[in-house]
Amino acid sequence: MANNQPIDNMTGERSLSLSNVPVPEHFLGFGLGLRTEHFQDVLNDKINIDWFEVVSENFMVDGGKPKHYLHSIRELYPMVMHGVSLSIGSTDPLNFDYLRKLKVLTNELQPEWISDHLCWTGAHEKNSHDLLPLPYNDEALNHVCQRVEQVQEFLGRPILLENVSSYLSYKNSTMTEWQFFNEVARRSGCEILLDINNIYVSARNHDFNPQDYLNGIAKDKVKQFHLAGHSDYGDYVIDTHDHPVADPVWQLYEKALQRFGWISTMIERDDNIPPLVELLAEVDTARNIATKTLGSLG
Amino acid sequence: MKNDEKNKSKYSVSKLSLHSLQQQMMNYLTDDKSAVAQHVVEHGGISREARLHIYKNAYQMRFKETIDNDHQILGMYLGDDLFDQMVSGYIKAYPSNNTSLRNFADSLPTFLANQIPFKDYPLISELAHFERLLMVAFDAKDANHFTREHLLEMPHKHWPSLVFRFHPSVQIAMFNFNSVETWQALKQEQAPEPAKQAANIWLLWRNNDRLTQFRSLSQQEHHLMTMMLNGHDFASLCDNLLSQSPNEDISQLALNYLLSWIDDGILASH
Repeated sequence: MANNQPIDNMTGERSLSLSNVPVPEHFLGFGLGLRTEHFQDVLNDKINIDWFEVVSENFMVDGGKPKHYLHSIRELYPMVMHGVSLSIGSTDPLNFDYLRKLKVLTNELQPEWISDHLCWTGAHEKNSHDLLPLPYNDEALNHVCQRVEQVQEFLGRPILLENVSSYLSYKNSTMTEWQFFNEVARRSGCEILLDINNIYVSARNHDFNPQDYLNGIAKDKVKQFHLAGHSDYGDYVIDTHDHPVADPVWQLYEKALQRFGWISTMIERDDNIPPLVELLAEVDTARNIATKTLGSLG
Repeated sequence: MKNDEKNKSKYSVSKLSLHSLQQQMMNYLTDDKSAVAQHVVEHGGISREARLHIYKNAYQMRFKETIDNDHQILGMYLGDDLFDQMVSGYIKAYPSNNTSLRNFADSLPTFLANQIPFKDYPLISELAHFERLLMVAFDAKDANHFTREHLLEMPHKHWPSLVFRFHPSVQIAMFNFNSVETWQALKQEQAPEPAKQAANIWLLWRNNDRLTQFRSLSQQEHHLMTMMLNGHDFASLCDNLLSQSPNEDISQLALNYLLSWIDDGILASH
């Protein structure tokens, strides 16, 4: 696996690569979202996967079979944790009960990093369990940055935030999503999980050029890519995660690689879950596109 | 015009605070009474109402799917129309206030016990209660099981003073109707018996293979388990059996109970 390559102490980059593009120290390779349907196959079979991402909330339980599998798989593979309930943009107070559970799970799993979304999920003590878009203005920016700093201080580590798919925008926005996102990362010190499919979906829904989004994000802030499928209804696109990655998203991934270089990439499938082998084929596609775009890892 | 400028020009000035915007959006999602649409950008081929409806639809579908996943047998018992009526009523009455969907339907048995038409058929609430207990047993805290080897390693003279501790997954539940039998019949895709009133007690737990199991309890076994929960030792359990059944071989009966609890995996090691 690429992760085993020696690291240049001066630059923090791996030195053994045939690629012309330097490989950053944090590059994990090509991964997959771990789903319960695949637990047994992951443990039984030797598979070509470098790492797994787990949804944090799914394992914030006291015990039982899923957690048993999780720990068994963790012994075999690097993991990152991905949350959906941080609600970093909500005007409700930060939920420290949730953060404590997140910290306990972090101590258990020792993930490479922790991520959540640049959004809000609820307010006034009601949770929509959806990734709702924020208005992109100074008030929201100050609010989010201050909360990211609080979360990072509580967890004792930087977090990654991910761009969400959106279907509406607000009149009181004063900047683009990528300007907002970039500024959150710059001011709060958080890092970026760039969901390539979400950029495509939002670009279609709001009629912007996805390349502008990529160009607007600072190169040194991006640590992970998500790739996923969507449902195209013609006039609009919904981020359903129940299909294979679509061709335009693969094309955008190639452009993202050209801008950001070697970034840990994974396939995120949440519904209509196919056999593991089908998702591994998509991971292979991502690996092949990266190799074609950036050169061989050696 | 550059894209950034083009995007910027779409937004008209609005002073709506983040707090108010979120309140209006949540009101829209939970009960329709909201003026949030006036704060949404009108753009392209789809109206702002249609844009908002994508979120509204997702809100309702997400909770419906959660209840459907958690309560598959209840859904079979109710049929589509009553299930939909239950879902829409529950979503309105108990909006989620938890970070995990795992807990969203925790109040469903209470809702069904108090809402027309469901409250007129108490078996429905009991079915929901039973399915929630299965979930509790499924992901309860782990603990090492107390095994026959643990028992054999213990000097016989210490057996009378043994105080047994249940595995954290153990649930004891009382029902007033043939709810669990109804659940079992539907699970096996058979027509259940008509609802009939009859007090019955069930034990649910996660076994040594981490699989959720359940079985009925006799009054006698339930009484012994209640004593265990209250911290009584093995000798007290045997005395109780003796007082109830003076003519039986109490030591054998007590040992049979103990070994079945150990083999079922309902006891935790200390």
